[in-house]
Amino acid sequence: MLRFATRRLVRSVPVLFVGSFLLFLAVRSAFDPLSKLRQLRDPEVIQRETERLGLDRSVPVQYMKWLKGFVTGDWGVSVRTSGDVRPMISDALVVTLQLLVPALILATVAAIAVGVYSALRQYSVGDHVLTALAYIGLAMPAFWFGLVLIQTLAIWPQRALDLEEPPLYFVGLHSPGQPHSLLDTARHLVLPVLTLTVGLVASWSRFMRSSMLGALSSDYVRTARAKGVPRRQVVVNHALRNSWGPLMTVVALDAALLVGGLLITEQVFSIPGMGRLFLTSLLAGDVSVLLPWMFVTGIAVITFNLLADIGYGLLDPRVRL
Amino acid sequence: MKTVRIGFSRRTGRAMVVGLVAVSLFAACSSDADSSTSDGDSSSTATGAPTSDAPSTDAPAKQGGTIVIGAEQEPDCLDWIATCAGSIWGSYMMQITTIPVVFNVRQSGDDWLPALSSIMASEPVVTAGPPQTVTYTLRSDVTWSDGEPITSADLKYTALQIRDGEDILDKTGYNLIDDIATPDAQTAVVTFTAPYAGWKTLFSGSSGVLPSHILEGNDRAALMKDGYSWSGGPWIIESWKKGESVTLVPNTNYWGDKPKLDKVIFQFTADTAAAFQAFNSGQLDALYPSPQLDAIEQIKAGLSGANVEVQAASGNLEALWLNNASPGLDAQPVRAALAYSIDRAAIVNKVYGPLGVEQPAQSFFPPILSAFGGQDFDVYVRDLDKVTSLMTGDGWAKNGDGLWAKGDVVASYRITTIAGNKRRELMQQVLQEQLNEAGFGVTVANASPADLFGTLGPNGDFDLGLWTLVTTFPDPGLSYAFDSANVPSEANEFSGLNLTRTNVAGLDDLLRQVDVEVDEAARLAATQKIDQLIAESVTSLPLAAVPNILLTAEKIGGSTSINPSEGPFWNLEQWALVG
Amino acid sequence: MTAVAGTPTGTPTRRRSSAWRRFARHRVAIVGLVLLAMLAVCTFGARLVAPYPPNDQDLLLGATPPSSAHLLGTDELGRDYLTELLYAGQISLSIAFAVAFVSTVVGVAVGAIAGYRGGWVDDVFMRVTDLFLVVPGIALLAVALQGLGRSPIVVVFVLAGLGWTTVARVVRGEVLSLREREFIDAARVIGNSGPRVVLKHVLPNLAGVIAVNVALSIAGAIIIESSLSFLGFGVQPPETSWGNMLSQASGLVGTSKVFLLYFPGLFILVTVLAVNFVGDGLRDALDPRSETGIGGRR
Repeated sequence: MLRFATRRLVRSVPVLFVGSFLLFLAVRSAFDPLSKLRQLRDPEVIQRETERLGLDRSVPVQYMKWLKGFVTGDWGVSVRTSGDVRPMISDALVVTLQLLVPALILATVAAIAVGVYSALRQYSVGDHVLTALAYIGLAMPAFWFGLVLIQTLAIWPQRALDLEEPPLYFVGLHSPGQPHSLLDTARHLVLPVLTLTVGLVASWSRFMRSSMLGALSSDYVRTARAKGVPRRQVVVNHALRNSWGPLMTVVALDAALLVGGLLITEQVFSIPGMGRLFLTSLLAGDVSVLLPWMFVTGIAVITFNLLADIGYGLLDPRVRL
Repeated sequence: MKTVRIGFSRRTGRAMVVGLVAVSLFAACSSDADSSTSDGDSSSTATGAPTSDAPSTDAPAKQGGTIVIGAEQEPDCLDWIATCAGSIWGSYMMQITTIPVVFNVRQSGDDWLPALSSIMASEPVVTAGPPQTVTYTLRSDVTWSDGEPITSADLKYTALQIRDGEDILDKTGYNLIDDIATPDAQTAVVTFTAPYAGWKTLFSGSSGVLPSHILEGNDRAALMKDGYSWSGGPWIIESWKKGESVTLVPNTNYWGDKPKLDKVIFQFTADTAAAFQAFNSGQLDALYPSPQLDAIEQIKAGLSGANVEVQAASGNLEALWLNNASPGLDAQPVRAALAYSIDRAAIVNKVYGPLGVEQPAQSFFPPILSAFGGQDFDVYVRDLDKVTSLMTGDGWAKNGDGLWAKGDVVASYRITTIAGNKRRELMQQVLQEQLNEAGFGVTVANASPADLFGTLGPNGDFDLGLWTLVTTFPDPGLSYAFDSANVPSEANEFSGLNLTRTNVAGLDDLLRQVDVEVDEAARLAATQKIDQLIAESVTSLPLAAVPNILLTAEKIGGSTSINPSEGPFWNLEQWALVG
Repeated sequence: MTAVAGTPTGTPTRRRSSAWRRFARHRVAIVGLVLLAMLAVCTFGARLVAPYPPNDQDLLLGATPPSSAHLLGTDELGRDYLTELLYAGQISLSIAFAVAFVSTVVGVAVGAIAGYRGGWVDDVFMRVTDLFLVVPGIALLAVALQGLGRSPIVVVFVLAGLGWTTVARVVRGEVLSLREREFIDAARVIGNSGPRVVLKHVLPNLAGVIAVNVALSIAGAIIIESSLSFLGFGVQPPETSWGNMLSQASGLVGTSKVFLLYFPGLFILVTVLAVNFVGDGLRDALDPRSETGIGGRR
């Protein structure tokens, strides 16, 4: 088990390095870190910054220099804000996780419930309805769905009930100027979490359904049934145990990508997380933030994958790691 | 004096960031409104939307209370004179409210002009020289929020920081300062190395006055960029939570009228649709949306419980910029024919009509500087017969595709604007249609702001451009954009901003006269002549003044209005809750 | 890591005919197929079908709600919205089909070679696809589009550049299991060359997996293109796609012109649903055990 994890880790590290080098290359060729300063038309400033950032040296040398800084905790200064990059990313990460964790938990539970139901009642009316809903969920662009949710769950109830303020908020994660309270945060979280959850449940429940169907038709489940084990017990002990392992892998992979992939949800709901940080930095050509950003999300992906593999081993008795 | 923020350029840093951050771009900035001192709304236009009247000063205003204002953009830093500053929203929210200046911009008749601020004891005294000098006299009873007086040392500190500093957003004017003497705590004498007609922009507009007793000898950038707790204005920055909000509280040591509200919170909103919904639902008490189409639609649809103020007479001039070096466009008759092909009134009506802006701009001086210009462009109304006679007169004939051609040259042009700006993209499509009908081929070639103003513009790699010139401080200098010496070239290290390659006989001298002429009457005569010359030679075509819009909830009264230069929050201390 | 190996049985020919029967029984899939065909005919035949010429402006008219003259109303510039939607559909569908085509061809080729050859070729391939899994796709897309411009061609190649890895992983998994089967062994034993075995014997057995992935790619591309449009990285005017029209109208929620937001959304919804139905039918028909799911929508 430990050996397996170590092997995976050792194998992932070069991927991260090669990947970050390629990204470094791509970002460096697509963006000029001095573009903003160049507008000052001051050759001296350009010269000084070029030397400071080592832009006159070859890309591999620059990369090594950058990497050394990154590993030792010196992530540099943002070209856009002149502030330290590290707190910018860690602040954004915390915000994103506040949104992501509830969404993941909710989506996983819902996906398992829907998937199991659909598998047990394959081709029933309920299965068809859930399938149709999943497809509609997958066919709606997230920003559109977010706007629809704002309209239906915040604006309409407020008008219908003639409330001072909407029951659910949709700007930011807290009401500014008020002490943070759990209720306030929850009222801000519901809509973005729902926006996020619908897409996830739609795709995960389909996965769970087919994985569950596979398990239900497997030999050991049939054997167990034949031996007279009660249906409920078979479903829970055999089929379910064997089908959520694969789901966990998908959940972990998606979760990791979502750490940096919430661009749309964060944009619609004005949440200052990783996705917004990425967009702002990209539009400003702020290479100094984009690179560590990608590195951090990359590390998140690798970590989550590793956790998923380990968890898979723990959940699925058949897998020997 | 470069008082102008433009899509490119000197204020570039600023304008550029504005453009980049809000996909709504350069035009995102600006504003308008009637000043609190004028009793009319000479510059405001009521919208057709079913809204209540603008709030008046006699509404029963309460003392105290908190409001939340939606902010479309977040500044990158608060070190106002540095390159990382440059967000117009940053200025509106935190610079105007905390940094004292020598000249404010206030309404005077139809125009917005520099007006002496309350830190000054008397009008500065200018001697033409040479060398030109300006003597500033400060009031002795004005203080920073910590009780220390605002002195001539602060002027000196600020001027030298800008003149000698690194990574400065805009050194214009300050780089002409030879010396600044401080004979006493209230007097500062600035000596220039060359005549400088735009001296009123110093310590005003984007720079202001910084507290030397706090900053001198320290790392100014480090002390200011993430926010500062001192103030020389009516408000103090209580907090700036990145990505979330900015909170202002009253400066209890302010010498003038103190704020009526206890707290003003600016909350950053990323999505226009969501921001409007938040305003409608009472989560936000005020909005200052850039005049994009969806914002206009939302206003037309009628916002519940809102006051809508629209200022048509803004400092933002949207124009069709012609590259005077492009084949064909280098000839005046072709440029004139192009101007006669376009129904500017229809375009303006389509885009801004719902806001009450129906007339195209007829001058390169924006409405806030209307006194300096004329109406010389009003001859250019759509007239396809005239297009034909101008083109055939210049030796052009329509080719097989129905496009004008002369020798090898076909009158087919690229039109470039900033990608992602819905309003401009719409205007572009209308222009394309109208020009096509008149026999001009048009293809869309949009670019990012960085590419447009960093590469395509300086290299002359465009034919027709659609962007907005934003005037933030009322000074009529136009030489940066129309003087042939400022055509980007090796000589000026491609830093010139005459992107249109305008080169009209006699124009350069007039433009330069405006830059150095200290006599106001002579300056006025010159600017009017300039407008006339530009119109005759049609080096570019003004389209419209982009209106500014301020939305406030009914519960906000006091006196809300837009200042085209200082923004909608210039008199935030007078805002109050009513009822 | 999400590839699930199917277990095709029997010879390719028998599989295909029985698969078609199974597909034809899948009523929803047939409905999807008919819908798709109609959409394709109407959009690509817009010149004949559309009620008005494209980009036919009427500034005075402006945006109007649906009427008998304009079935889906008109947009800001007074253009017939149905006409604009049909022409925009050409771009949306072209992008989607092109992305599916490019990513499938590349993905199948790479996946088949890696799976069949194994060894270091496979190792290299696996590491390369790992690279693409490390950074969120939408972020990569935005960087690429920011750097390369936003013409439809660029959008296609950028989307395909990201999409091929999924296909390749699935195909590789299938090939790995196929490689050990008797009929492949037999083909090898009687002296067929490697490429020939892959082309003649391995690929035909992957028809199901490939078809399903084509459907998934098409649906994914349409959704991702609209999301990119919303973020400002999609196709730029004067080219319009459904996603572009949708994001253009996103600010109209709560106004009388909200119909401008509904119709492109409806077209996207119907198209993606239809594609998914077809994909579902293909899956059930060809490869009942493979996984479901489309990524990349948030």
